[in-house]
Amino acid sequence: MPAKIDYHELIQADKIHGSLYTDDAIYEDEIEKIFYSSWVFIGHESEIKKRGDYITRDIGRSSVIMVRGKDEAIQVIVNRCQHRGNLLCNESQGNKRNFTCPYHGWVFGLNGDLLDVSYPGGFDKPLNELNLEVLVTDSYRGFVFASFKKPTVSFDDYLGHGKALIDRACNMSPNGKIDLKGGWIRQHFDANWKMLPENDTDGYHVNYVHQSFVRAIDSQYGDFVGAEDSIKGVIKNWGNGHTEIDFAPGYTKTLDWLGSTPEKVKSYVESMTETYGKEKADQMLYDGPPHACIFPNLFLAEMNIVIFQPTGSNTAVQWSTPMFLDGAPELDFKLLRQSEGALGPASFLLADDASIAERAQIALGAGTPWCDLSRGLNRETEDSDGVKTSHMTDETSNRGFWHHYRSLMIGVRS
Amino acid sequence: MSATVSAALAKALEGFIIREAKLADEGQYEAWEALWADDAVYWVPLRDGDDPTQQVSHLYDNRRRLATRIRQLMTGYRYSQLPISGMRRLISNYEFFTEADGRYRVEANFFLPEYSIQSIHDFRIWSGRYVYTLSAKGDDFQIHTKKVLLVNGTEPVPTMAFLI
Repeated sequence: MPAKIDYHELIQADKIHGSLYTDDAIYEDEIEKIFYSSWVFIGHESEIKKRGDYITRDIGRSSVIMVRGKDEAIQVIVNRCQHRGNLLCNESQGNKRNFTCPYHGWVFGLNGDLLDVSYPGGFDKPLNELNLEVLVTDSYRGFVFASFKKPTVSFDDYLGHGKALIDRACNMSPNGKIDLKGGWIRQHFDANWKMLPENDTDGYHVNYVHQSFVRAIDSQYGDFVGAEDSIKGVIKNWGNGHTEIDFAPGYTKTLDWLGSTPEKVKSYVESMTETYGKEKADQMLYDGPPHACIFPNLFLAEMNIVIFQPTGSNTAVQWSTPMFLDGAPELDFKLLRQSEGALGPASFLLADDASIAERAQIALGAGTPWCDLSRGLNRETEDSDGVKTSHMTDETSNRGFWHHYRSLMIGVRS
Repeated sequence: MSATVSAALAKALEGFIIREAKLADEGQYEAWEALWADDAVYWVPLRDGDDPTQQVSHLYDNRRRLATRIRQLMTGYRYSQLPISGMRRLISNYEFFTEADGRYRVEANFFLPEYSIQSIHDFRIWSGRYVYTLSAKGDDFQIHTKKVLLVNGTEPVPTMAFLI
């Protein structure tokens, strides 16, 4: 037995221990305590539109199937035959009438019920003893979350302020619906998974890691280059480990976030105005979508959706897909190209984030213990709801991530 | 309809592609960029048959974005290619066609060993099929499209900031 891991010692108010990124025992512990014991994002309902449509995802060491059943209900089922443990689905997506195991031909319904055992003469257990393992599942605006074990907090409590962030993303559609039909790029990182959510709501690195982008491309990110007091965006810790960079205060015109203008996307502006009314639509089109992480593995990445997948203490995979807006197909082409520009192994941004994260992973492996996490403690503010806000370059977001992480790892809700 | 090309033309087209590969391997970015036509499409889909107007690709560059890509690589701050990976690609199994519009289509398999030295110093293998559309330009050729079909494009792939 390894010594008990003291997360209070490893995660302090203003610093964290480097072993959190590299230690195999800590990795195994977080798979158990975070990915197998509480809510994680699985996928979006728009990925499985028809009955029998399914996708597979990897959570912790397990493959799971998210499927739309014959009654339209969405379930998340462990992708493992209850007989001898074979994978039922090897494909990442498809449509099935039932799940038939390729090993001995056992047949399971889309709801996970064991329907048929071949050569039943030698098998006299009741079939329902060997139904597939079904996860506790809930959803909000099509975002499906699940938990292997009965979670200790309700889905509503888990999402908390995350609901408003998901609302802000979905409401970019004039129909209030997003559609994840563009396919997923998967990017391999030789770095610990926690660097992904940390980096994605780190407003401090943009001028440095992305210096080549800032120099080569005229974009809304260019507005953030300058003296410290010229940066108007803010960083937020929404609680429950949900964090955000709110770029909106730094935008200088409507549709800055889309790199567009109302004249160029006239029909989109019109349909938004029709749905939400002029005043509200104008505000939404100015503020844009959220740039926010929902703990532990979902990133509302402006006009993209991103999933973080831990695959080991030193490796991770980042999934990304464009967030298409139902009712605004005229934006699809632009959103595809923007997604490729920002995210993925050949992109202008994430390619460099990966190299920098991997360099951190190497340096942390040396065992030099501490990483500083104090930036902004001297100036962040907290509202009556406990939401903390600070300058865009402050580590308010990362403290929010780590202190929630600590509460889950200790087993005490923060 | 497409037709195969003469042996002399095939040799010339192969020579052009070998030169393009060398410029990409060696990070001779401006010379590589100069090979492209104004209607350039440099495309790495996730899989063969994907529709770039509906599905996300690893990259789908028009001429303007291709210029941006080169400009970024040349800033001296593109950390994912700083320093440039060690690369020496092999291209083989060529097929040459003349298309109805007079352009040439060249398809070939590629095998690209990459020594990635920006972070973890990892030796990687990239492989797949190149599909080029080329046309004559003076005594030389120019590239209209280069589609790169990775054998593992739908799987998790590491940083691909170099010119593939």
